[in-house]
Amino acid sequence: MKNSSLFIILQRMRKPFLVITITYTIAIIGFLIIQGVDNEGNPYQLTIFDAFYFVTYTASTIGFGELPFEFTYAQRIWASMSIYITVLGWFYGIGTLVSLLQDKIFLREIEKAKFKRQIKNLKDKFIIILGYNQITNEIINRALEQGLRTVVIEKDENKANELILENFTPTVPVLVADVHSSHALKEAGVKKINCKGLVSIFEQDTLNLRIALTSKLLNKNIKLAIKSTTTNHTENLKDLDVEIIANPFSIISSEISMALNAPNLLKLEKWIYKLDNLSAKVPVFPSGKYIICGYGRMGHHIYEKFKEHDVEAHFVEIKKNKVEAFIVGEKLTITKGNADDKDVLLKVGVLEATAIISATNNDTTNLSILATAKKLNPKIMTIVRENEMDDFSIFKSAKIDHIFMMSRILINKTTNALISPLSDKFIRMCSKKDEQWGAMLVKDLISKIDENPLLMELKIDKKNAPEIFNALENSNEIKLELFSRSLYNREQNNNVMPLLLKRGGKSYLLPSGDELININDEILFACDENGKNEIEYISENLYEFHYAYTGEERRTIFFRK
Amino acid sequence: MNLDKVISGFFIILAMTINFGFFYGDMDSLETHSKYELMAAIIINLIATTLKLGDKTQMGSVLLATSLVADIQLIVAATIWAIAHYAFVVDKEIVAIIISLSGGAFLANLISVILYVGDTLKSKR
Repeated sequence: MKNSSLFIILQRMRKPFLVITITYTIAIIGFLIIQGVDNEGNPYQLTIFDAFYFVTYTASTIGFGELPFEFTYAQRIWASMSIYITVLGWFYGIGTLVSLLQDKIFLREIEKAKFKRQIKNLKDKFIIILGYNQITNEIINRALEQGLRTVVIEKDENKANELILENFTPTVPVLVADVHSSHALKEAGVKKINCKGLVSIFEQDTLNLRIALTSKLLNKNIKLAIKSTTTNHTENLKDLDVEIIANPFSIISSEISMALNAPNLLKLEKWIYKLDNLSAKVPVFPSGKYIICGYGRMGHHIYEKFKEHDVEAHFVEIKKNKVEAFIVGEKLTITKGNADDKDVLLKVGVLEATAIISATNNDTTNLSILATAKKLNPKIMTIVRENEMDDFSIFKSAKIDHIFMMSRILINKTTNALISPLSDKFIRMCSKKDEQWGAMLVKDLISKIDENPLLMELKIDKKNAPEIFNALENSNEIKLELFSRSLYNREQNNNVMPLLLKRGGKSYLLPSGDELININDEILFACDENGKNEIEYISENLYEFHYAYTGEERRTIFFRK
Repeated sequence: MNLDKVISGFFIILAMTINFGFFYGDMDSLETHSKYELMAAIIINLIATTLKLGDKTQMGSVLLATSLVADIQLIVAATIWAIAHYAFVVDKEIVAIIISLSGGAFLANLISVILYVGDTLKSKR
């Protein structure tokens, strides 16, 4: 049965109803038995309706008086007795109803019914986000910006209330329930055809894995964005065919690798994540000796990368078992000790080190380590891991050279992969290229467009590019350069650069303008505001497309071909 | 033995029997139909309905539905009787309406009893 709030009412009201029925019956029967007199003194027996009428207005404390004739004393005695039982019956009923309205379970049922209605009426594309916190808040904002609706399941009622207070437009339905229960996921619409994705980025990997498993079983076509921090879990998620696995540590390690080897690629990545523009300082890690504080999950990834790129590094770790797990390499050494200690830092050679990376999972420790290091060696480059989003302003004012923000990385990765999948693909393909390629592309983008180009994704199908679709259906050949033609003069070009072409299962980086377009191609453009506008015109407007394609104005009334 | 079953079975069957008692008799005069019996039928039916409230099972819902049908038919019959008695005249047509309404309610009661018995026979406890 779907509507459980109604059933809760019925079940709770069963006793009060019974009490009211029985008390009424007793009172009515009494009046039927007892004889009264009419105005002339003749005996008068109350009819059933008379008795019912009297009890009805007396029990509800309205009290019209003694009808139809003045009562005898026998009747009055019965009337006073019946008032006690019927009025009590009524109060009992009303009291139960009122207490029901304050009942937590009942209220939650009503909330649930409301949530279900909202989901049922949701006709746009939407994603389900599990858990509400600052990170998911940011994801919701970005999704709504792109016209993607969101639905949230949150276990904690207070947090759900916080979300309601945020007043997102359009509204974000929120369900208070266990995030891993298949029931809650179903209610949130996992099985709906317009549900495009599900985001689960909890701290615990096991919870994330469980959610991934449940949702894949419920709907195998849904796109999942799941956080994982260990290789073991990543493997498990891959076995489940999870599309987006967000591992902040592996993202950081690839960023470090880029910063060491190909800083221009990192710059591109930061531009796509909207963290920096293309003319910003190149985020490079200088060569020299590094000190890394903390050999945990992040330290481990740094170790791998430094080993690969042959960088001299000295690790400092306080926990004994972690120190013992360390494999000493040619240029990689470890010291057991508290990195926040001045003497320890001096011992590991902070004075001649080029950079210090503070990678513990405690923000205060990280900041304090860097402050000490900076005092000992003012020229040292500082790199830090930031765990909590709240501490952002402190980190910003601490004048640190490079900040790895765990939460921001997660937000960027998941939103990009869910909302603009092509740019995610682009980043992944880019990271395999070399520095020279990256530098060329950055130069090209700045010279052709500007220092902060916009990204635009276009799918060649009936909905998003009807004109191109029709032309291709009629077996016309269209080249990719069509999109960069200016609508003022087609001989000139707009500031548009195709970055990625996805055809079938394959993607091609930087396709040339002579490439022929197929139906169902997906293209990622870098462009400016004007270019974006004109791409939309060309793909959707009959006249503009005709002009861009043939160079003639389309005639609609005379000389129509 | 389950006391709940005894009570609900008692009221469901009593609703039918009392209703039959009112219904049985001449179709065109009220002389053989007591108004007190109609009142009793309404009350017992209401109690039977209340006892069935909030049962989420399939059987519970159907039982509730039949009970509601009987309630409505009987209450409508009583209302028509009262209105005709006080405001108009109780003629043959009104009598026919009252009795046939209670006949309909009796059918609903009968269905509910049959379902109840069937459910009881199916039960393994």
